[in-house]
Amino acid sequence: MTTRLIDDGLFDGANPPRLVGAQCSGCGTVVFPRQDSCPKCSDGTMSAHPLPVSGRVWSWTVQAFPPKPPYRPPSGDYEPYHVGYVDLGEVLIEARLEVSRPDVRIGLPVRLTTVPAYQDEDGTDVLTFAFRSDAEGPR
Amino acid sequence: MNRADEVYVVGCGMHPFGRDESVTGMDMAARAVREALADAGVAWDDIGYAAGGSDVSGKPDTLVGRLGLTGVPFVNVQNGCATGASTVLAVANALRAGEASLGLAVGFDKHERGAFHVSAARYGLPDWYAETGMMLTTQFFALKTQRYMHEHGIPERALAMVAARAFRNGSRHPLAWRRKELTEEEILLSAEVSPPLTQYMFCSPGQGAAALVLARGDRAFDLCERPVKLASLAFRTRRFGSFEVFSPWLPQGPHRSPSVDAAQAVFRGAGLRPADVQVAQLQDTDSGSELIHLAETGLCGHGEQEHLLAAGDTDPTGRIPVNTDGGCLAGGEPVGASGLRQFHEVVRQLQGRAPGVQVPGGPRVGFTHVYGAPGISACAVLTV
Repeated sequence: MTTRLIDDGLFDGANPPRLVGAQCSGCGTVVFPRQDSCPKCSDGTMSAHPLPVSGRVWSWTVQAFPPKPPYRPPSGDYEPYHVGYVDLGEVLIEARLEVSRPDVRIGLPVRLTTVPAYQDEDGTDVLTFAFRSDAEGPR
Repeated sequence: MNRADEVYVVGCGMHPFGRDESVTGMDMAARAVREALADAGVAWDDIGYAAGGSDVSGKPDTLVGRLGLTGVPFVNVQNGCATGASTVLAVANALRAGEASLGLAVGFDKHERGAFHVSAARYGLPDWYAETGMMLTTQFFALKTQRYMHEHGIPERALAMVAARAFRNGSRHPLAWRRKELTEEEILLSAEVSPPLTQYMFCSPGQGAAALVLARGDRAFDLCERPVKLASLAFRTRRFGSFEVFSPWLPQGPHRSPSVDAAQAVFRGAGLRPADVQVAQLQDTDSGSELIHLAETGLCGHGEQEHLLAAGDTDPTGRIPVNTDGGCLAGGEPVGASGLRQFHEVVRQLQGRAPGVQVPGGPRVGFTHVYGAPGISACAVLTV
């Protein structure tokens, strides 16, 4: 089965892929996804900045009902999924959480992974970033 | 300050909120305007400046085709949850600038059923954010509430208390949509939407309209037995470090909301403190939002909410009555009308003629607060 990443601009091209944000040379602010100006200061220039791959759940919830379009569901019946913010230290990013309901909690160590988001018309699985439970914890 | 530089509400009108397939957004707006004009005892051609807002139900200035082609300047506003406050701000500024002595603010909307439709591009966000199921306002409110309760040790029961009070107040308000009281148990056990929030802890997009007639101080007291002074109004967008709807990333906290900025500015402008407020409206898109907004606006301290609610302090007979009409939870949220609904309720409370439960003791200081995407807040202080 062929797969592709949902947006190459989010990743660094390595295998397994890492997320790439941008960092301001002026104030050090890290943003995700990349943008070419700093939301905090007007002094710096923004350059690509790979993000840590492990962190901790900062907040979480469940998407119990199927969202309306432009959400693109995976094939099959709707399955509620977890969403949260993950504290990566230099930035908190919003992501799908591949965790089980009994396990999920604020502070849970998690690690970057990818999950199928939806399928292209030609059957290609489109992968997006997510975080899964990480027994080893953040390094 | 010269009284001519002050702005007063001298009339208000509202089309009931809820669902009514027989009327359009414009129909409701026209009715609310006519009611507000009648309440003020003025005619449409007395209005020298108008501002109107709607998110999805048409261009407000086309209302002149129904109300009368008087040539009045009519500004259209589309400012999310702050739409109503923006119309009041536009009219108040025009009156203060001497452009007119009487103005009208109107807001209306009629939304489809179910969660709001979103467009990533409209918010300057990439398509993947919506396509992967992260661009939902309900998720944001749940995530913010979850974190807030964790940081401040607030139990889920507090969320149910907020909703129970909203439906209790709504059940006694003739203009509210949801008029059935629900127990805390029923609210906690209703369908899960996004934990910690359940179905009955969320408001629904709905329909409705509300309008205000505003007058300069030198006219207000001739027109109205008990004009309500717009003591202060502040509108703010987010600053760096806030935690907002539709944020793919956040900086490390503490996260400061535009609600904090708007509330501080409005109290400063009015020369009053949060403790002076005797009747309040807070954006209650969901129970969690109201809990958070209670503290962000300064009406209580962070973490004090459960105690406040359990003691009945936010009930109509309490120390800080909140959302005496049932708020968005009982009224639903027609985005363009919702902010003016708040004004309508507070004005009527301060005039001693609340449509629903009247706050006893003749309240003299009222407060309104809205919050919405993409990180905006507007607050007003109204006094008699």
